[in-house]
Amino acid sequence: MWLDEESPRRSHPLYATLEFVGALGVLLVASLRGVLGGRIEGRETVHQMAFIGAASAPIVALTSAFTGAVVTLYSASLLVDAGGSGFVGGALALAMTRELAPILTGIMVTARCGSAIAAQLGTMKITEQIDALRALAVSPVQYLVIPRVLAALIMFPMLGMIANFAGLVGGFVIANAFGIGANSFLQSIRLLTEPFDVIGGLIKTLVFALIITLVSAQQGLSTRGGAAGVGHATTRAVVISMVLIFAANYFLADLLFAER
Amino acid sequence: MSHTAPALETRQLVYAVDGKVILKGIDLRVDYGEVLGIMGASGSGKTTLLKCLCGLLKPTSGEVWVEGVNIAPLSERERMPLRLRLGIVFQYAALFDYLTVYQNVAFGLERHRRLSKAQIREIVRERLAWVGLEGVENLYPSQLSGGMRKRVGLARALAMDPHIVLFDEPSSGLDPVNAYQVDRLITRLNRELNLTAVVVSHDVVSLMRTCSRIVMIDDGQIIAEGTPAAIRASEHPKVQAFLQMASAEAL
Ligand SMILES: Nc1ncnc2c1ncn2[C@@H]1O[C@H](COP(=O)(O)OP(=O)(O)OP(=O)(O)O)[C@@H](O)[C@H]1O
Ligand SMILES: [Mg+2]
Repeated sequence: MWLDEESPRRSHPLYATLEFVGALGVLLVASLRGVLGGRIEGRETVHQMAFIGAASAPIVALTSAFTGAVVTLYSASLLVDAGGSGFVGGALALAMTRELAPILTGIMVTARCGSAIAAQLGTMKITEQIDALRALAVSPVQYLVIPRVLAALIMFPMLGMIANFAGLVGGFVIANAFGIGANSFLQSIRLLTEPFDVIGGLIKTLVFALIITLVSAQQGLSTRGGAAGVGHATTRAVVISMVLIFAANYFLADLLFAER
Repeated sequence: MSHTAPALETRQLVYAVDGKVILKGIDLRVDYGEVLGIMGASGSGKTTLLKCLCGLLKPTSGEVWVEGVNIAPLSERERMPLRLRLGIVFQYAALFDYLTVYQNVAFGLERHRRLSKAQIREIVRERLAWVGLEGVENLYPSQLSGGMRKRVGLARALAMDPHIVLFDEPSSGLDPVNAYQVDRLITRLNRELNLTAVVVSHDVVSLMRTCSRIVMIDDGQIIAEGTPAAIRASEHPKVQAFLQMASAEAL
C-alpha cells in the first residue's frame, strides 16, 4: 500500500494517473472496511462534522442565496414580460434542487475543507507525524481519513438542504421585486418540482462528499517534499476534486434525472 | 522461537527510492539485551535503516526479522500489531502538533492499553520525569524548544514499555547535560529493564559510552562492526576519519 512506499517522483502521466486511481480505490476500500469494522473515532468525527458541516453552512447559504437571486433575475425578466411569472419559482426550484445546490455545496466545501484536509494531512506527512501514528500502531486511515469521510457523508445532505432553502429565499426576494407574490412563487414550485428532485440532488451531494474527502486525504497522505510539497498537494486536491465533481455531476444528472 | 533468536535481524536489506539505492544490502543482527550503536555520516542511510527495522518503510528486497517474524513481505495491516513491540524515537521528534505534551505521551496508552485515567496520568508523569521534563504537560509542541520536543518524543516512545527501542539521534540538539542524561537513561533502561536498544548517533563519544557494539554505515553499507574498543582500533580509513573528526570536535 502507498503508506509505506514512496511513489516515484517523476513518472509518466499515464502511470501517475493509474497510480492515483489505484490509491483512491485502496483508500475507498480501506475506509469502507474501517467503517464496517465499526471502530470509529467518535470524537474526531464530531469535530470534523463541526468543521466540514456547521462551519461551512454560512458560506454555502450565502453563495446559494446569491445564485438563487441571479437565476431569478434572469428568469423573471424574461418570463414576467412573456406572461410566465407563474414559472419563475418552479424553474428556480428545479435548477436549485437538481443542480445548483449540490454543485455549490461541493465547490464551497472543496475550497474550504478539501484544501484544509490536504494541507493538514500533508503537513503531518512531511513532519513524520503520519509515521509516528503508524509507529504507535494507529492506522492513519482509521484515525484521520474515516472521520473526515463519515463527517462529510453526514453533513453534505444537510448542507445541500441549506443551499436549497437559501437559494429559494434569495430567488424569492428578487421575484418579489418583479411583482411575484409568495403564493404564486410557492404554487409554481409545487407545480414543477417533485420530492425526487430534492432527493436526487442530495444523492449527488453524497457522491461529492466522497470525492472531496477521499481525493484530499489521498493527496495529503502522498505529499512529498517540504512546504512546497504541501502547497502542491493542496492545489491538486482542490483542482482534482472540482474536476471530478463536475464530471460526476454530469453522469449523476444523466442517471438520476434524464428520464424525468 | 529459540532464545538465541535475535531481537532484530536484517538479511541483504536493500532500500531504493526514485531509482536511488539508499541501503545496499545490510546484514545486521541485534541481540536481546544489547545496546547497538549505529554511526555514519549524514545521508549514509541511518534513518532509512531504522524505518525499515520498525516496518515504516517496506524494503525493496531482503528480509527484516522482528522477534522471529519476517516483516518485509507483510502488508501494512499485518505489520500494524507488530509495531507495538518496538518503540521508535524520531530524529525530529515527530510530535503530534495538535495535541498537548500530555496527550502526545498518553496517545498510545489511551488507544492500546486498558488503564484508568489516573494510571495513565501516573505513567505520563513518570516518563516525562525520566527525560527531565516537569510541568510542561499542558503545553503544545510549538511552545517547546527543539530539545524539549525531542525529549517528549523520547517519553512518548517509552510510555508503551516497548522492550526494543530504536533511537534516532536521541541526544542531538540537546545541551551536554541533557544529552548525558539521555545516555544515562538508555544505559539504565538497558540494565534495569533489559531494554534492547538501537541508537543512531553522530556523537561518537556518546556511542562509545552507551553501546556494547557499534556498527558504522557508509553510503548504505556496513563498513565496520565491533565493540567500541574494536571500532576505535579499526584501520578502515573512513572509520578512522570519522573518529578523528569526532575527537577533534570534542576538543
Ligand atoms: N524519501 C526519500 N526520497 C528520496 N531520497 C531519500 C528519501 N529519504 C532519504 N533519502 C536519501 O537517502 C539517503 C539517506 O537518508 P537518511 O535520512 O537515511 O540519512 P541519515 O543517515 O539518517 O542522515 P542524517 O544523519 O543526516 O540524519 C540520503 O541521501 C537522502 O537523500
Ligand atoms: Mg537521520
